[in-house]
Amino acid sequence: MTSDVGSGSGPLTAAVFAILLALAGGDKHGYAVMKEARTPEGGGVPMGPGTLYGTLDRLTRDGMVEESGVSDDERRRYYRLTALGRKALAAELERMDAAVRAARGLGLLAGGRG
Amino acid sequence: MTAARLEGWYARALRLYPAAFRAAYEGPMRQAFRDALADGELRRGALLRLAVRDLAVSLWREHMAMAKETFGRPALVFNALVLAGMATVLAVALYAIPQQVLRMGADDPQIQMATDLAARLESGATPAVAVPIGSVDMARSLAPFLIVYDDQGRPLGSTAQLNGQTPTPPAGVFDNVRAHGEERVSWQPILGSTRGVRIAAVVERVSGAQPGFVLAGRSMREVEARIDHVQNLAGLTWLGMLGLIVVGTVAFGWVTRRQAIT
Repeated sequence: MTSDVGSGSGPLTAAVFAILLALAGGDKHGYAVMKEARTPEGGGVPMGPGTLYGTLDRLTRDGMVEESGVSDDERRRYYRLTALGRKALAAELERMDAAVRAARGLGLLAGGRG
Repeated sequence: MTAARLEGWYARALRLYPAAFRAAYEGPMRQAFRDALADGELRRGALLRLAVRDLAVSLWREHMAMAKETFGRPALVFNALVLAGMATVLAVALYAIPQQVLRMGADDPQIQMATDLAARLESGATPAVAVPIGSVDMARSLAPFLIVYDDQGRPLGSTAQLNGQTPTPPAGVFDNVRAHGEERVSWQPILGSTRGVRIAAVVERVSGAQPGFVLAGRSMREVEARIDHVQNLAGLTWLGMLGLIVVGTVAFGWVTRRQAIT
């Protein structure tokens, strides 16, 4: 499948960002990623299993994520972030950080001028 | 609805995913759904709405991705484009070759008629004597006709009329005949605002004491109808070949598609 994860020079999609962010904290299986992605700190992206595994499939192909193991009954599949995935996540966070700083400068967020 | 029934419903819905995707992720997806049911953090209604929305979006996305991967393979697309190019060249040839044969055939028997008349005029016959008596209606008749012009392109005698007048080809035709001795053209006489039928005309130079030109012509109505028919057949053949290429490419792409995600 061709990649549509937004891993090029442009920003990451919301689902990709949330998955990479969830995996940045350590190896996780599918539902753990879904659960963390739904929280405000995890990106606030509600996603179902179809979106999750479709995105993981593309991220795996793009080398941003890799399988780290399966549960004993092989029903849970665990994933981890690769160096490339971490780099993409860092780049996205820097982009967001710059946007947040700009918003603060404009007084759109608390802690800014005015 | 019990958790087991909900999971059964979700398992059945997973059959709608592409086979390769399903083979790779059916188990983990069912487990993730089961975990969500067991966790209870999301109420069942909210979970069901999320699952339905997720199915709608991801089914479309995975089928499109699979179709793109199956039918968008460079080798497959390249082969299809090469075949389409060959089909196009073949269809153009299917049209152009008969079109040329028919068009050139439309100059018979005017070539002989023009040559014979030019020879008679050059041997001293006057247009009044050399041009046979008759009146062909150029707009309606398919019969060949003859027209004699003087060196300035003014008609001297004619067996044909268009709206009661003898039409004259553009001056460029006469200039070309002066330079080359003969010209074979498709000519559409225009008298006033009336556009005549298209004529397969053979124009020859008359040398000698009274130089001028002879024009032998014939309506191309029937020939053009046949050319149109050939064009339609070539067009249908082209569309048929393109259709076969599309069907063949889709079938080959489907047969050789990736069966599993590795």
